[in-house]
Amino acid sequence: MSEQGLEHLLALSQTACREATRAGADFADAMAVRERGLSVEVEKNAVKSSDARAWGSVAVRAFVAGGTGWWTSSGTSPKSAREAGRQAAELAKASEPDPDFVGLVAPSSYPEVAGLYDEKIAALSASELAGWVTGNIDSAREVADGAVVAGEAAATTQEWALVNNLGVSAAQRSTSASVSVHVVVRRGDDVGSFYDWDRARLREDLEPEGIGARAAQEALKYLQSRTMETASLPVVFGPLASSALFAGVCAAASAEEVQRGRSFLGGKNGESIGSPHLTLVDDPLIPGGLASGICDGDGFPHGRITLVERGVLQTYLHSNYTAKKAGEENTGHSTRGGIAPTNIIPAVGERTAAEIVSEVADGVYVALGRPYPDSTSGQVSALVDAGFRIEKGRLTYPLKDTMVAGHMLELLQNLDAVSCDYRSEPGMVLPTVRVQGMRVASGD
Amino acid sequence: MTEAGPRRQLAGVRDEALRLKVEFAEARYAAIQHSALMLQDGRADRVGAGERAGMGVRVLVDGAWGFASTESPEPEDWLSCLSDAVAMAKVSASRLEEPVVLAQAPPVVDEVRAEFEIDPTGVPLERKLDAVRGYEEASARRAREAIANLMTGYSDSHQTEVVCNTRGAFLSSESVRTIVWHAITVQDGSVRQRARELRARQGGFELVEEMPAEELSVKAADRALSLLSAQPAPAGKLPAVFHPSIAGLLVHEALGHNAEADHVLTGQSTLAGKLGVRIGAECITVVDDATIPASWGSHRYDSEGVLAGRQVLVENGVLRGFMHSLETAGKMGVEPTGSARADGFANRPIVRMSNTMILPGEMSLEELIADIDLGILLQAGQWGYVWCEKGQYTCHAGEGHMIRNGQIAEQVRDVSISGMMLETLANALAVSRDFEMEMPGSCGKNGQSMSVNGGGPYVKVREIVVGGQA
Repeated sequence: MSEQGLEHLLALSQTACREATRAGADFADAMAVRERGLSVEVEKNAVKSSDARAWGSVAVRAFVAGGTGWWTSSGTSPKSAREAGRQAAELAKASEPDPDFVGLVAPSSYPEVAGLYDEKIAALSASELAGWVTGNIDSAREVADGAVVAGEAAATTQEWALVNNLGVSAAQRSTSASVSVHVVVRRGDDVGSFYDWDRARLREDLEPEGIGARAAQEALKYLQSRTMETASLPVVFGPLASSALFAGVCAAASAEEVQRGRSFLGGKNGESIGSPHLTLVDDPLIPGGLASGICDGDGFPHGRITLVERGVLQTYLHSNYTAKKAGEENTGHSTRGGIAPTNIIPAVGERTAAEIVSEVADGVYVALGRPYPDSTSGQVSALVDAGFRIEKGRLTYPLKDTMVAGHMLELLQNLDAVSCDYRSEPGMVLPTVRVQGMRVASGD
Repeated sequence: MTEAGPRRQLAGVRDEALRLKVEFAEARYAAIQHSALMLQDGRADRVGAGERAGMGVRVLVDGAWGFASTESPEPEDWLSCLSDAVAMAKVSASRLEEPVVLAQAPPVVDEVRAEFEIDPTGVPLERKLDAVRGYEEASARRAREAIANLMTGYSDSHQTEVVCNTRGAFLSSESVRTIVWHAITVQDGSVRQRARELRARQGGFELVEEMPAEELSVKAADRALSLLSAQPAPAGKLPAVFHPSIAGLLVHEALGHNAEADHVLTGQSTLAGKLGVRIGAECITVVDDATIPASWGSHRYDSEGVLAGRQVLVENGVLRGFMHSLETAGKMGVEPTGSARADGFANRPIVRMSNTMILPGEMSLEELIADIDLGILLQAGQWGYVWCEKGQYTCHAGEGHMIRNGQIAEQVRDVSISGMMLETLANALAVSRDFEMEMPGSCGKNGQSMSVNGGGPYVKVREIVVGGQA
């Protein structure tokens, strides 16, 4: 993949877009994508398979009187691009006019975003990936005798080009690599397990070693898990669990969900939705960020926004369509068919995670879990995938068969601490978060 | 590309693999054409379609797997893909612990045609839109001023998979699939609730022609409206009765994934070493059946070209078998079960469920709940997941009802449950004669998505952890 590759994809997108307008579309945009990747999968402490994949596609959106038609073709040939443009326009004619549609994004300049592409990642071989995963098998088994390790190492290079018939023309090349490890430790009928990972766009940001050892250390902690009594208690979400709370806010802040009456954050723009400890920034310009990029799926230039400041919702996340429909500023969060956040950065607090736990006389610590709300009702009801009982400020025993529940708006208001120390991944700040008064259900 | 082209090219890849003397090679061509439309708040919001096709080749070299795929239709790119797969297998082989040994299976040569009454590709878009509009209008009439949002969707697809391997298998399987769904959001003050109904079949447009609004959109509207006045569910351990949709979720998440032989062999399943052992109550018999006509998870042959069938996983509480690929069957010294399925051309076949169910019993729902003083009836199964190695699972119910003094009482809102698989199966007390198999959906495993279905009777369990708010 190369600069010539981006030029080729730009030309394909232009061909598709031109074909759509020629076939009767008032407006059209087209995105051509090409990706190749390698992965090595590990099962039961040995390599299971090594895979190489390559794919490409041309996706066109055409608009006739605001009605939308879309077509996706596999492959990146001029023929498939022309077909995609023509078919999208025909489908747009069959959809119905939309009075809220007032046009596509106008051309503009794009920000420079550093650290999206690394030749060292693009040049990785399957042998190197295999070395990473097998190294993690060894490190896990050094920590936990008899551990059973599964996992994967993968590297991907992607390039895309996006154009519209108003003159938008954007292209981007990026890389990413990841290592994930799942460790299972058995002692008789007793089982402890843990999952951990690392992922980055740049080789210098990736630390592929040591994940297995880390996961094995955690897996050992989850032997002899048990249930607890059902109660209303403070719940502390660790770095790998807290992000689901923030993701839940972002999903409900989608202007599409709000405008369609499907979000529990409807009517709350400018209002308090959480405690002053809650501040969330969406920043797609972070160098090397996993969700960083130059523009959104509509071709609107990316920029940094504050979504929630000291508990007050500052804006909804918009696409070009929802922004124009609401008469508000576009925040650049279109995914061509939906709306999604980019790099979510929570403001950190003043106390350490250890201090936050030490203040809990009786509570629950969630290390792995998905406390993700129903974005319509706002209700959370989630399994503690891996967690601990907190007693007198200490993690005392691992939990099984335990759930946490509440309404998201109550959870956010009851969020009373965000740690100052956090796990850092490219474009991610993963702190420890405490929520008072959650309903904890368990087996005792 | 017509199918003749891929068949010829697949044969070329197979012949080259034979020339290279690899232990085993399997070349698969997969293509899908799909179309979808969505009506939202009275307007045809999006109309779309697309197509994807390509070839993936898997090889076994020195006892190790390599895989490569391409979307290029060109013969030289397919042969180049084979070379890549061989190179990848050599990487795997350099870090191999135990060589792969494949089970024997008859080398099938066959063509499976899709079965449908009304070819969706021949149905004009206007007719599809009219049908979808009918569903939406019926829902709107029911919910009236409570409506916050209405969404109604339709989609169809035509899929082709051609499998050719170095053992002589050469077969093509075709399927036509149709989906129709309706989602309604209703609001009363600050309370918002949503309900969704979906029907999906292997078949054509007859699904829509035969589906009255009362069984789809009106049903969703009634469910959403009733949820507006439902109360939060209680938290804690309660006696429970699962609706067939929850039973389907439970048997898929809790038992099904643990009975996939790849999980068993890799130390990820809590069922390892328990064949022939009692793992559940006498009333629990679990079957994975790929042969149910038109069901979402059915398939005649799997992606390895093996004839699929009906597997009894648990019989009267005793673990009887697992679902197998050629590889897992080879390792365990049993017959393959035709359960190795691949998501498109760009993925390797892995062990998957098809239509997984608990078989019905003799009791009525009324008899099941008659002796429960305080419990919960969990309904509207939505999603779930499992940590196989521990058998710890969760399932989400869109709604439920309290059971008080042997009667169905007040309604409760959406809630998740959790449990340990072996404890739940042992705690099953009885199953009903009423039976439903209406959980068509997509199951995720190792990054692959696969069409499955699930179902069962009403299932009564001694107690389960309910993650409620009250």
